[in-house]
Amino acid sequence: MNEQYLSIFIDESREYVQSLNESLLKLEKNPRDEETVNETFRILHTLKGMAGTMGFERMAKLTHRMEQLLDKVRSKKVALTSDLLDRLFAGVDMIDKMVNNVASGGNDQVNEEDLKSLMDAFEVVQEQKVEEQKVQSETKKESVDVEDSVMKVIHEASKEGYGAFKVKVTLAEGTIMKAVRMYMVFKAIEDSGGQVLSSVPPVEDIEQEKFDREVELVIIAKQDAESLHKMIASISEIERVTVTTIAKVQEKLKEEEKEREVKKEEVLEEAKIVEEKAQEQKISQKRRLVQTVRVDIDKLDTLMNLMGELVISRSRISDILRKYNIKEVDESLSQLNRITLDLQNVVMKIRMVPIAFVFNRFPRMVRDLAKQLSKEINFVIEGEDTELDRTFVEDIGEPLVHLLRNAIDHGIETKEERIAKGKPPVGTVVLSARHEGNNVVIEVKDDGRGIDRATVLKKAIEKGLISEAQAENLSDEKVYEFLFLPGFSTRSNATELSGRGVGMDVVKNVVESLNGTVKIESVKDRGTTVTIRLPLTLAIIQALLVTVNNHVYAIPIANIDSTLNVSANKIQKLQDKLVTVIRGEIIPLVKLWEVFGLNGHKEEQYYNTVIVRMGNRKYGLVVDSLIGQEDIVIKSLGKIFNDVRIFSGGAILGDGSIALILDVSNIV
Amino acid sequence: MAELSEFEVFVFSVGGQEMAFDVEHVSIVIEKTDITPVPRAKKNVLGVMNLRGRIVPVVDLASMLGLSCKDSAEGKIVVVNYEDIETGFLVEKVRGVMRVNSEDVEKMHKFDSFGEKSKGIIKKQEELIIHLSVGKILEELTMSS
Repeated sequence: MNEQYLSIFIDESREYVQSLNESLLKLEKNPRDEETVNETFRILHTLKGMAGTMGFERMAKLTHRMEQLLDKVRSKKVALTSDLLDRLFAGVDMIDKMVNNVASGGNDQVNEEDLKSLMDAFEVVQEQKVEEQKVQSETKKESVDVEDSVMKVIHEASKEGYGAFKVKVTLAEGTIMKAVRMYMVFKAIEDSGGQVLSSVPPVEDIEQEKFDREVELVIIAKQDAESLHKMIASISEIERVTVTTIAKVQEKLKEEEKEREVKKEEVLEEAKIVEEKAQEQKISQKRRLVQTVRVDIDKLDTLMNLMGELVISRSRISDILRKYNIKEVDESLSQLNRITLDLQNVVMKIRMVPIAFVFNRFPRMVRDLAKQLSKEINFVIEGEDTELDRTFVEDIGEPLVHLLRNAIDHGIETKEERIAKGKPPVGTVVLSARHEGNNVVIEVKDDGRGIDRATVLKKAIEKGLISEAQAENLSDEKVYEFLFLPGFSTRSNATELSGRGVGMDVVKNVVESLNGTVKIESVKDRGTTVTIRLPLTLAIIQALLVTVNNHVYAIPIANIDSTLNVSANKIQKLQDKLVTVIRGEIIPLVKLWEVFGLNGHKEEQYYNTVIVRMGNRKYGLVVDSLIGQEDIVIKSLGKIFNDVRIFSGGAILGDGSIALILDVSNIV
Repeated sequence: MAELSEFEVFVFSVGGQEMAFDVEHVSIVIEKTDITPVPRAKKNVLGVMNLRGRIVPVVDLASMLGLSCKDSAEGKIVVVNYEDIETGFLVEKVRGVMRVNSEDVEKMHKFDSFGEKSKGIIKKQEELIIHLSVGKILEELTMSS
């Protein structure tokens, strides 16, 4: 099998599994949403086709079963119960498993028993309901020749300026791929903004080519009959098309309407929801229209590395030329600077992906968790368009899983508890992302019980981390920091899902390894907010170059508040620590040579000080001199320096020397 | 008689003593260059150097092996590439590649001031060369203290 197709298959299948999860979640909220049922059906159909082409028969079979089931839902022969949705979710999980198996080099082999029981589950539903419904649909046919449900839609659609048509398509004799031709007809109608409401023979028969040459469709569309005719007739291998406007139907409907006036309002509401969803659909479809190319991640990384080399070379050339001060070169040089800067921005942007890639899988996870814990949760995602470096995307998922689990498991109370507290019975968990300066801020917020300061402190005292006397004066911020310690759990019985503490430790580690920070805020009975702050990108940063003992060090601009010249007599000692007061603010000072363990630094009259920000606090880093601002490419120092926490990496400067990059959070 | 096998080692001298790495781990030898010290690093680590745009740590092999290190401006840096990680070792002189017969290697158990860092002693015409294990040395360097 062709490797190339296989990887495309895997990528696309994963996307479809994701969309399936999304639409099933939508259906769970509103089972009558026909547009989404159709969407789900279409995705399953595409997946079936893809699996079939690639020869993954089990997957093709499974998707086929699910598709059949949805078709029954679509034609209102089966009601979409929550039980049924659970089975569909299980089906999607099974597909996901198959895709993963394929991706790890195998085929779509899964546990045959699981598959069979799942398939049987779909079968049982189908058989039961179909029999019940058969009788009904027959009686219906006697009264009106267009189904009731279809009539409703036609009627509502007519208010929106849609016309209803009966389209009779006759395929040319000897057409080989009848199903494909008919699919093109369906697609042409849908692409032009129309919608197929029903067809004779039914869609599943058309797909399996169980029809002769003629198909009758009832559709709604904005065009008139003539242009519809033209559009459909332009599809090849179609012999004849007749389009008739369904006007009488409308009149008939009017008569019936009087009888139905009581029902009408209900129907209206329903249609409105359908309409809303349809609009949502359109927006998301439009978004997908952005043209994209799949690129191998390795190539992107190489591009990034080359970009880095280019930035270094550019600085080197500028350095050399500046020495000779050649006028003619200046202009070209500044142009080169501009171009590399633009190029750098573009390359950076290529590496950026919307955080939706991470967030996408959470609605499903939250749903499953909430069900498992029998809690009701309104899960809100905000800012999923926020872009961040793709290196983060792989890593940030796990911490967020921990945070969401914590929020749902420990944060949100049970329904009874919430009612007793006078809170809305449904808990809210908000996952949001936004840009803030040079940072990406991700927040997990719940309106649950909050973190109990006393419980945390009790545990901390128990563990001997702090004395009782100390505990009282501790700020909330400091108290919550205990939660990040490995093995610190406030719940005595950690649940199967999450023992708070174990997870928080992972969260902190991952976020810090990405040069980010994490912060907890909590108000008892009002909820907890965990804020993760990540730099926009890891590869190239702007830094201030400084010298300490004749060596050059880089301080990330993102950490810097300002630079100052502090005179020695303004420096005071406060509890063994050097501080200075700037505009009424007490700022602790850190002499970098002392941090580096370099002795024999002489006292001076003035100290060059770089004020850095860490959270809400400011600190002053005292250096020998300031060199200037430069774009630097961060490189890892290697495993040998893993225990050197005061540097986050190194950068090669224009003159070929190395500047170590300070990890400010580990210095102050 | 046991089958003879031959292998190649890269020989250099450190602290007046001849030593050798397995040749397949040695990627390049360069003249001693500017080394940027890394404050608070392990004591046997001299710092980092710029090797063709890459940042590579440099280790003082003599002090790591507990030998008196002659502080000299000259010297060579032997860059080894082990499991895709480059590390430079500061040595005094470089002799080059030598073919060794496995018969000539003696595992000296009594001589274990180097511990596992030494794989044995190579005897070559009255000369004794300590055969070092690159893997064990790097392991010790990356161990968190």
